[in-house]
Amino acid sequence: MRRGAEASWRRSPSFGAKLMRIDWLMLSFAAALAVIGTATLYSVADGSFQPWAERHALRFLLGVALVIAMAFVPPAVWLRLSYPFYGLALAALALVPILGNEALGARRWITLAGISFQPSEIMKLALIAALARYYHWLAPERVSRLRWMLPPLVMIALPVMLNFRQPDLGSAVLCAVIGVATMFLAGVAWHHFALGGLALLALLPFGWHHLHDYQRRRIEVFLDPELDPLGAGYHIAQSKIALGSGGVEGKGFMMGTQSRLDFLPEKHTDFAFTMFAEEWGFIGALVLMGFVVALIALTLLRSARAPATFTRLVTAGFSVSFATYTLVNIAMATGLVPVVGVPLPLVSYGGTAMLSLMATMGLAMSGLVHGSDIPERDEIGPLI
Amino acid sequence: MTPDEKARFQARMFTRRALIVGSVQLAGFAALAARLYQIQVKDESRYGQLADTNRISTQIVPPPRRGRIVDRTGVVLAGGEEAFRATFTPALARDPEAVLRLVARVVPLDEREIDRLIARARRQRPNEPMILASDLAFEDVASIGLLAPQLPGVSTELAERRIYPKGSGTGHIVGHVGHVEQVAIDDDPMLRMPWIRGGLSGLERYMNPSLAGKSGRVKLEVDAKGRIIGEIERIEAVSGSDVVSTIDWVLQEKVAAHLAGERCAAAVVLDVRGGDVVAMVSVPGFDPSAIVDGMSVQDWRRLAGAKDDPMLDRATAGQYPPGSTFKMVTALAALEAGVTDYRQRIVCHGSYALGGQVYRCWNRGGHGRLDLVGALRESCDVHFYELAHRVGIDRIAAMARRLGIGQAFECGLPAGRAGVVPDRDWKIGALGRSWYPGETLHAAIGQGYVLATPLQLAVMTARIATGRAVMPRLCLSAECAAGAPASLGLDGGALELVRRGMVAAVNDGGGTARRAQLEEGGVTVAGKTGTAQVSRASARRRDGALAWELTDHALFVAYAPAEAPRYAVAVIVEHGGSGGSVAAPLASAIMADALGRDPAARPPISLASAGSGGASR
Repeated sequence: MRRGAEASWRRSPSFGAKLMRIDWLMLSFAAALAVIGTATLYSVADGSFQPWAERHALRFLLGVALVIAMAFVPPAVWLRLSYPFYGLALAALALVPILGNEALGARRWITLAGISFQPSEIMKLALIAALARYYHWLAPERVSRLRWMLPPLVMIALPVMLNFRQPDLGSAVLCAVIGVATMFLAGVAWHHFALGGLALLALLPFGWHHLHDYQRRRIEVFLDPELDPLGAGYHIAQSKIALGSGGVEGKGFMMGTQSRLDFLPEKHTDFAFTMFAEEWGFIGALVLMGFVVALIALTLLRSARAPATFTRLVTAGFSVSFATYTLVNIAMATGLVPVVGVPLPLVSYGGTAMLSLMATMGLAMSGLVHGSDIPERDEIGPLI
Repeated sequence: MTPDEKARFQARMFTRRALIVGSVQLAGFAALAARLYQIQVKDESRYGQLADTNRISTQIVPPPRRGRIVDRTGVVLAGGEEAFRATFTPALARDPEAVLRLVARVVPLDEREIDRLIARARRQRPNEPMILASDLAFEDVASIGLLAPQLPGVSTELAERRIYPKGSGTGHIVGHVGHVEQVAIDDDPMLRMPWIRGGLSGLERYMNPSLAGKSGRVKLEVDAKGRIIGEIERIEAVSGSDVVSTIDWVLQEKVAAHLAGERCAAAVVLDVRGGDVVAMVSVPGFDPSAIVDGMSVQDWRRLAGAKDDPMLDRATAGQYPPGSTFKMVTALAALEAGVTDYRQRIVCHGSYALGGQVYRCWNRGGHGRLDLVGALRESCDVHFYELAHRVGIDRIAAMARRLGIGQAFECGLPAGRAGVVPDRDWKIGALGRSWYPGETLHAAIGQGYVLATPLQLAVMTARIATGRAVMPRLCLSAECAAGAPASLGLDGGALELVRRGMVAAVNDGGGTARRAQLEEGGVTVAGKTGTAQVSRASARRRDGALAWELTDHALFVAYAPAEAPRYAVAVIVEHGGSGGSVAAPLASAIMADALGRDPAARPPISLASAGSGGASR
């Protein structure tokens, strides 16, 4: 009976069926955010599609094409590619200090075949895929065994450490959150998280010691902005002034004085939210967050309905990744967390982040489109 | 557990955990929404203000020119002149001291001034320009231009500079302008600019609000680097208005010429009907031009601490015992109180005894029996001792105040002093002791505690001449509007008696002021001498050649023509000797000039014809 049923499940859906099963609602929420992003970048450039808005919109369209293209590829392919891709991403990340282009005191970019990209952004996608691949293979009863927890912990720890050394505190935090959340969703017992939390607390002073001076300074200034109102605290203070002066209804599209007059730093990337919320006010900020919440809630819902572990974890991983990016970015702009350099997904300008996020969505979409058309646990090996 | 059950169990576990993860995320977004509510809704106004101070830079635009001060005929007493000035902004130079030393090779600056400028460059706010020189020759400007690359922060510009074309004759009336940091006039931010001058004395100070004009303001939108993006608001600066003084420059020069021979003296000529001060001279004088551009501390000390204090305006701020010129006050007080009348005669034997003390008359031989007119004519001290003894100090003091003594006249004369009109309350308040009857006798003849300024004596004379509360004014402005002064409420008969005494003093045989008679006939002068004792009588009689400082002040007050008064004159020559021989001839000469020119007969020019365009405040 199981075999017969399996046979019918395993039949790959037709092209038309696949197209029908693509989650167009999820894509439209993403599109809404991309429109917000394009409008904001248009405003940042003083009412010009150059240099950011046009490329941002084109990249999003490219991302949509990527999602659809990836959705048509059976998950079996992605399962097979997960570990090699993780390895490549890790290697690229490790090579950043050697090959990377330096920008603003940090090496985050490398150029391959004429294309510059940020390995740290690709790393998040690779980490989600690799962890999902691991738990898809791992027998559920082994999930909470210490021995079987070790490989995923190493898979998480390597990119976290590499990002930390770059230094890219934001990516390190994101990798850690994505990894830990994936382990939690995979079913690792509660007490492990409690113990892990305690261990982390114990290691905190050690971690502080390994921070760069400017990172320490940022955290110190964040805890006490009075320390340096014109220096490191400047970003936070200016962002809050811009937000606050926007008020409930905002100053109107293209009317944001603070951002427009260059008081605001990094307004096309890390502080795009501030730019948007100054012009569109509290109402605009709520609308933006509404689209984000709708997108992540929908994604989580889809992940819970998914029949396979890989699909569930990849889809939930996309949700967690998207939510964490957004939370950290807005918390940064509102002065709740230190300025760590995390973009606002689909809104901030940045090709690698946008495309790797869309690729994560594509990965999830592939699982959702293909339903049960995915190799069983016992059909795949531990590594290949 | 079957594989199916296992799968269902796993799916349920995942759903549960996804729900938890979703809740955590939702809580995060709720926290962010709350945070945004706090920043964007609750604290909006605060951040809005912060945003405005962030982006708006307010710049002060100084008024294009300071108003001129002209005399009543339009002669410019204070005006502006375009001159090249060099300024230096320390913030723009890496080594301000080196730049200043280099500049000194081009701009005529001596070693001391350079040291002073270097010290100031260190002390002051680096963004504020400081003035190096304000009257540069064109060649110097050209040299600075040539050296510009080596002189960062130094710039030259054409600017208005205050000039006083009439020099030292105007110092006390017109006053002077200077750095306002010396005296804060108000908290107009414009005054913080180093080249803005404010009036520090005289009319320059009193009329400063009109003269200075109003600074404008430009609100500029700037970006974080201070670059100007646009103009939000502009309030135009308003040039200062011209001020017309009541002074008649021609008469002023003549009065100054009459006093030129004296070491320290002052004279006031008042139009008795309107109170216009048509001439007012204080000797020695000073030239305000010397102070305009800031003199060195040493020069300032030299001027301020000079012998005879040239900065002191003796006409309004010099306080002198009025001597016998005060006798009219005593007479009017006694007449009003009814303790004497036109028939009463009082015998003078040369001295007066009160409480075991002897009070001498200036005439040791005594004046014999005199009525009030005779007593004023011959200035008999004993007569007024007796009147004062009868009427008491408080009523004398009240009369003195009604006649204008003891009051600092505000109108255009900011540094004016009030003098002293003593009475019982004053002595308890000022000295903490009670009044002695003998002090009333001293006060009666303008000695003792009584002090008055020449301006007050001129006002007193004008009030006696007209019976009206004449108020002096030095400039034409709304606050000192002319108009027929109110009556003093004095009995006409009493006033007439005193006037007759003053006419007799000048014109009758035995009068103390016969040298005040005008040589050209036809005009009768009424006047009164005063010889204010400076040292004790015993100290001075013994030695014929008296030290200058111990010689009496010579005073004279007069009005003319006696029948229809036009001008009141008060003259004081410090340590000049007797009023009759020293002050009376001066007063007579001044009165002749005043009557001859008769400046009050022509109304002062109107502000419009003075070319200001703007109205006085």
